[in-house]
Order: sequence, then C-alpha cells, then structure tokens
Amino acid sequence: MELTRRDFLKASAAAAAFAAAGAQALAPRLASAADDKGIKWGKAPCRYCGVGCCVLVGVKDGKIVATKGDPAGPVNKGLNCIKGYFLSKALYGKDRLTHPLIRKGNKMVKASWDEALNLIASKYKEAIARSGPDSVAIYGSGQWTVFEGYTAVKLFKGGIGTNNVEPNARLCMASAVVGFMNTFGSDEPMGCYDDLDLGDTYILWGANMAEAHPVLFSRLIDNKLKNKKVKIIDIATRRTRTTQMADEYIPMVPQGDLAALNAIAHVILRDKLYDESFVKQHVSFKRGTENQPYGLKDKENPKEEPKPLTFDEYKQLMKQFTPEWAEKLSGIPAKKIEHLAQLYTDKSRKVNSLWTMGVNQHVRGVWVNNLIYNLHLLTGKICKPGENPLSLTGQPSACGTAREVGTFAHRLPADMVVMNEAHRKKTAEIWGIDPRKISPKVGLHTMEMFRAIDRGELKCLWIQCTNPFQSIPNLSRYRKAAQARKAFIVVSDIYPTRSTEVADVILPSASWVEKEGVFGNTERRTQHWFKMIEPPGEAKEDTWQLIELAKRLGHGNLFPYSQKNFHKEMWEEYRKFTIGTGKDLAPYETYYKVRGLRWPVKSNGQETRWRYTDADDAYVKKGEGVKFYKAPGNKATIWFRPYEPPAESPNSEYPFWYCTGRLLEHWHTATMTGRVPELKRAMPGATLEMHPEDAARLGIKNRDKVKVSSRRGSVVLIAEINGRGKPEKGNVFTTFFDETKLINDLCIDAFDPLSKEPDFKKCAVKVEKA
Amino acid sequence: MDSDTTNTGISRRLFLKGSILTPLTLALGGAAISAVYLRPTQARGFYLRPPGAIEEPRFLAACVKCGKCAQACPYQSIVMAGGEAGVGIGTPHIIPRETPCYLCPDLPCVKACPSGALDKQLTEVEKVRMGTAVIIDREGCLSIRGLRCEVCYRQCPLIDKAITIENRHNTRTGEHTIMEPVIHKDKCVGCGICEKVCVREKPVIAVQQRVTEQKDFYEF
Repeated sequence: MELTRRDFLKASAAAAAFAAAGAQALAPRLASAADDKGIKWGKAPCRYCGVGCCVLVGVKDGKIVATKGDPAGPVNKGLNCIKGYFLSKALYGKDRLTHPLIRKGNKMVKASWDEALNLIASKYKEAIARSGPDSVAIYGSGQWTVFEGYTAVKLFKGGIGTNNVEPNARLCMASAVVGFMNTFGSDEPMGCYDDLDLGDTYILWGANMAEAHPVLFSRLIDNKLKNKKVKIIDIATRRTRTTQMADEYIPMVPQGDLAALNAIAHVILRDKLYDESFVKQHVSFKRGTENQPYGLKDKENPKEEPKPLTFDEYKQLMKQFTPEWAEKLSGIPAKKIEHLAQLYTDKSRKVNSLWTMGVNQHVRGVWVNNLIYNLHLLTGKICKPGENPLSLTGQPSACGTAREVGTFAHRLPADMVVMNEAHRKKTAEIWGIDPRKISPKVGLHTMEMFRAIDRGELKCLWIQCTNPFQSIPNLSRYRKAAQARKAFIVVSDIYPTRSTEVADVILPSASWVEKEGVFGNTERRTQHWFKMIEPPGEAKEDTWQLIELAKRLGHGNLFPYSQKNFHKEMWEEYRKFTIGTGKDLAPYETYYKVRGLRWPVKSNGQETRWRYTDADDAYVKKGEGVKFYKAPGNKATIWFRPYEPPAESPNSEYPFWYCTGRLLEHWHTATMTGRVPELKRAMPGATLEMHPEDAARLGIKNRDKVKVSSRRGSVVLIAEINGRGKPEKGNVFTTFFDETKLINDLCIDAFDPLSKEPDFKKCAVKVEKA
Repeated sequence: MDSDTTNTGISRRLFLKGSILTPLTLALGGAAISAVYLRPTQARGFYLRPPGAIEEPRFLAACVKCGKCAQACPYQSIVMAGGEAGVGIGTPHIIPRETPCYLCPDLPCVKACPSGALDKQLTEVEKVRMGTAVIIDREGCLSIRGLRCEVCYRQCPLIDKAITIENRHNTRTGEHTIMEPVIHKDKCVGCGICEKVCVREKPVIAVQQRVTEQKDFYEF
C-alpha cells in the first residue's frame, strides 16, 4: 500500500478525528467526513499474529486502498510490523480462489456452491451412516473468527455428535493450555501486556520475541530504555535478534529447560528463598505420571494420574535436582542457575517469565509450563502488576477462538470439557439440545486425526483456514495418505496451498475484513471488526459454508440466527457460556467502539488487566489478596516434574539437532505473506542456519546448497551462516514458511502425552553439501 | 599493474596508448558520469562495480570487457553496461535492486578476471569495498518511523557489523522503541543486498560511492 506523504498526513488527520470522535467504527457521518477522496476508515485487529495490533482499514469503491496502525490501539499505538504494513496486499494476490472446485480424477473442475456442498453433504452423510459420526472431522484454526469456531463446535459436537473438532492451535498452544488448566484450573494468563511496561526482569524461555512478536518486543525494549534496572535474559538454543537486544544470553542444550527449571526451584527450596505464607495459602502440590510414551505409535493414549504431595514431600523430591546435575543435562553452568534463582527470588525485582514455542512444542511441553509456574508460585511473584508468567501466543485468535470457544477435541466453550457431564448439560441447555447429543468421548487430536486418515478410519475431513499439509510434522506420511485418497478432504482457503493440492473439494473463503469477526489475543483482549468489503468472486465466509453443510445434514435448526443480526445473535448465545465463569465477555455492541477489552469484563463494563487478584479482578473480594478461584480449593498446583529425555537425540549418523520456527517477514506457511511481493523479496525462501564452526568442519560456506536429512525425509536448503540467527554448535535451524521446501518432512511426530502437541524443535538430522 | 602480460590480450603498446587516452577519457567522461550514469532508477551517480574493482578511472582502462566475471557469477548479479555507459560500454557492473552481489566466499568473479581490473589480492569478502549503503530517505524508512521492519538489517550479510540497530524511545507512542538501522561505512562492503530487499517501492537504503577516507576523523 503505497501512500504519498500527502495521503499519509491526511489519513493521520482522519485517524485522529476518528479516535477523538469515540471511534464509532464506520459511522457513516464520520466516514463521509473522513477525507475528500471518499475513503471510509474502519477498525480491525491485524490478521496475523497473536500480539493483536489494531489497524485502520481504508476502503474506497469496495476495495481496501490503505491500512495503517491504529493510533488508538492500546497494543500498538499506531505501529505495525512489516507484515501488518502490507496487510491489505495479502487479500489481493492474483491467484485468489473465487469459485468452488471439485476433483475429477487428477483435475480440479469448477463447480457451483450447490454442487460442492451437496457433494460434501453426501460424503459426510454416507460416512456417518456407515461408520458413525466419529468417522468425520473438522480441522480449523486459531485464525478462525469466534463465529467460525463456534459454528464448527456447535455443528460437530452438538449436531453431528462427534468431538472430532481440532484447531491448528494444537500445534502451538496446546501445552500452554494444559499447563494453565492443571495449574490454575482455567485457561489463559493472569497477566497482560502491561507487565511488559511495569516489570524490570524478563526471563525468556524459548521465545524469539524480536521476530515472532515484533510490536510487543518493541514495547518490551522501550521499558528497558526507560528503566536502567530492566534486565532481559534470553535462554535459548540459538542466538537470535532477541538475543542481540537482551542483557544476557544463556545457551541451553535442547530439552535442558526441564533440568534448569527444576534446579532453579531446588536452589529456591534449598536456600529457603520461597514465600512461605504465599505457598501455604495458595498452593497445593502434586506429582504426575512419569515415563509416559512420546506418541510415536498410533492410538497411544497415556493418562495422567496425579498424586497429592505435601510441601515436605515435594522438598524432599526436589533435593536431587542440584544445579550441578542440571549443568550436565542443560549445559547451563551451575553458577548461572544459582544466579537465575537469585533473580527469581530477588525481592527488589519484578520478575516475568515469557515463553512461546520453545516451551510448548516440546515432548514435555506441559511440564515445562508447569515448572515455570512453579517458580512464580514458590516466590509469590504472580498476579501482581508487572510481575507474572506470560505465555505468548502466535495466532490472532488462538486464545479467542481455539481456546475460549473450545475448538479442541476435548473442549467446550469457557474452560468446559466434553468428559464432564455437568459441562455437557450446561452446553446442551444453551444450545437447546438433548445433552445425550454431545458425546462424552474425546475426539481425535490433530496428530491422531491425520493418522486416522492414513489408517483409513477417518473418512471425511474439512480443513478451514489452515494449511496442515505443509505444517504438520512427519509430513510425508500424511501427504501420502491424502494423495492416496484415503479420505474425502475439503479445504476452505483463500489461495491455492499445499493443502488444496490434496483436496477433493476446494472452497473459496472470505478473509479478514471481507466478513465480520472477532479475534482474541494473548492478553485476553477481545477485538471486533465489521465487514468492510465483499469477498472476491463467489468466495463465502467459513461460517456460511458450515451452516450450509448443517442444513444439508439436517442440523440447520442449530443456527436460528436472523440474517440481519446474525453475528450479534450468535455472540449473545456464545456469551452465555462465559457469564459468571470468570471469563465474562461483554455485550456485542460494546466491542464496536473499543479497541478490544480484556476479559473478564466486569458488570460495570470495565476490563480486567490482572486475574485472581483483588487489585483488579472483580471475582476476588477486596482484602482477599490473591485467590485462584478457578482452581480446586482455590489453590494453584505446584507439580513435581522431573527431567525426561527427548523423543529423538542426535547420534553419529544424525549428529545435529533440528529446530524449526518463524521469522518476521512471513507468517506461518506464507499463504498470505507469500503473496506480498515486498515480503517475498525481503525473504524469498527458507535457509538452514548453522553454527560457523559446524559449517567449516563440513566444508560448507555461506549460501552453499546443503541437504538436510532425518530418518523421515530430506530437503535441500541454502546455508545461512552468521546471519540473523546463529544456532549453538550441534544445532541447525530452519523456517517453515516456504511452500517449496517441505521442511516438516524431517520433523518427528512425537508429541507431549498430556497436550498432544508435537515437538517441532527437536529431532536428529545430518547435513551434507548438496 | 601487470595488465601488459600476454594473457590479457593487451599489448604494451596498446596499453600505453590507453594510458595516454585515459586523462582525456576522464575529462570527457566526467560529464558523462554525472549526466549519463545518473539513471533515474539508480540515482546513485556511479556504477557499482564487482568486488575487487580497482579505482574507477584505472578500472575503465584495465577492464577488457571480456565478461568473464559476469560468467563466473552464480547469481548473474554482474551485467555488462550498455551504450548509456559511454566509455564504460561493455564494462561489468551490478544493479543491486535487480540482483545484488551475494558475496560468494571464494569470489569467483575476481578469480575469473584476466585483466586485473578486479584485484586478485582481494580474497576475503569482508574486505570488499564496492560502495557503501546509505539511508537516502530517512522519512521514508519504516523502521525510523517506528514500525518493526529492519529488513535491511536482518538480510545484511554483515549483520551487526555493517548494519546495527540503535534503539531509541518512540515519543509518538510513548511506549515503543524505534529500532533504527545504522550503517557503518568502515564495515559495509556495498553488496547492495539491503537495497534489493528494502520493502519500499523506491528503496530508502541504497549503495552509494565510497568517499575517500577523511584524515581528520574524530573517534569517540
């Protein structure tokens, strides 16, 4: 979006007027006044990551002509990252899907919506009749709007009668979710982004915020500029742009986090640095099931059987985890561990832990989440302004949709689960259906869903708003299964992707401001936007597509909303789930005006910045201090979680650790950012980052072609040495955005036994000159 | 200079003639450099020569226009100048916005040069000095405006050396950081990758001619 300076100044003035006028989004009066060129401005959250920047969208003649950071946006105050700057271009790629396509042999043939939907309905009906409702599934996304996720959950769980509903958030936030649930009894953080301004000590566990959370990182660094006391410590297996701006970098051996976090707790216990009264009042102790498998066999379904511990028993168990022990496993010197324990317990410091995929995409990801909470619970540095653990998310509505609406195989809205009879009853009541309609059986989690296709057990899968045939680990097994037409696969998307490639039906979707929607970001901020432009061609909203299937399957009555107030009516129904649960959402119209509100929204319409504290949370009475009111007995859990090795480690044949991740210029599988020529030019393809000494030993020079192979597959990449990221010796790193390089072929599909989240960060590979 | 050796195909006589002609060429070319060389798309006022190129007047005299450097370039970054280059017609240069120099560690272009126009004494890419990057439009630079761009920095082959990021408080938002890319001329090789990857329609960072080092520099 090229703006002349004149345009830009004009737009800025318009934006200021917009903000001053209380920002009635798209109010006709204001819109016509917006500028003489007739550009109408509306507000929306950014389409990309979980930070939740607010943008202003300028529309003229039914087309987006400009986007820019919204100065009234509390998260970004008018800023964007480079992806957000080119937001509108993501919608205007030349190859937008504009009409349904049906597979005829090896060809995809143009079809009408009716033909496509009738075909889908007949396939779903046939599978359900023959093999039962659990033979069909839907695989969605943390980029689904609340409405899309809610429609999917209601149709599949309440109508079809299967819990085979999964989001791609299983691949990124599932471990965080289980961590929240088994520690605090409720999903999502107690803190918020304000902690990034108010704290003074930030310990990053496996998070490259500089690239994955760009605007948020800019906010964190500003705190450092203002306050000399601020210390940022980056604990990682790779030097990144985050490392570059951190005060201290602590390199760690992959999987070493389990050992290091335990050893920090050991020091805190050994030196009696814990907050005794906080622990007594707010914490209980448990030990989970250990030595669980890694999910490498199909249908493995390990269960956790927690045993309560006393504080003394816990202390006794923790005696073995000395810093010297941890040094051997994590590579972090014992002295450093002592130093970290001092930081975590320093009474003059406000300590925050931040983490993302390094922790969550981990075969013991839930454990690492638990172990981080342990430190905050032992020290009482939690639920205070400027002092919290904060799990960062990567998708715009991983929280708002996947987690809050509950588009997981075991979840229902607002922290409820299908296994719980009372939860099913409450859900059925709101939906006006027989509680027996909702199956108590947990559906297939993501990896099992794709494995079930390979086994021939899952007959129909509808994929919306995500690209699993590029993004799941051990990819070739699942691509082969799909290519062998083992299941009927429907893909709704806005562009051809590596997933539409294997589809039987491709449906063109509306994206972002081509429909009305609500997203929820990392800090529990719920943001709304209106539809501003028409989708291209015959493209339709994902909700419409699902309801059309519902009608054809005889479940149309589940969606009795009027056409005029469709979104409002659905929202008000969904909102019922949240009222009185501590996850309260506001009436729909409230969100028209605000740049998002952080739930629980209080009865006076105010948002909640910090949960579980009488300082801010209305669910905690004044004088009660901290109260984990969602946890059993109002007590959060400190878990005993020992060290366990990764699923696969390097050996002489495959001597390198293989780690995958994201970078600033592209988002996920780049189906959107890859259509922005500027971003494509800025970062054209995936590279393999190596340590210079490793490269030199193998005779690999910068930009040489290298072949990376694991036991599962291989890929040829360009070596990048001494670039933006520098893995530690014995590690290599690549990114997953490049659709021409299926780097997930190499990844192992081992997953956490509790969260079922795969480990994209650790498997063994070899590297050769190609 | 040993450009009179047989393998260059230039006889001593021809070379001497060339040397006499050089000042004349330069005088005439001076105007041409400012007028013709200033192509609107480049706006840099000089030709970006391949790594190891000797000083421009000597380069023009030494280069035999054989195209071997261009042949050796695996990225086809080196192109031969057309008629618009005046006396420089047929000499190799790089248009970074199209294809910059990717700094091959073994410098194949230098190795391929038969004439000494590309100096074979150059063996380390970090010592290449083709030109230097300059932010030519600070107002247009998204990073300087507070956005999280810094594409030039992250793509710089000498990241944290030739380009570093200087953080300063963003007074406009009050709670963010302006992460400004700062170019260090003593480290910048002038490869032009930053110019290539700049996301603006007209790149706000571009390679310009290196100015000869000033002697009265001040260090702090």
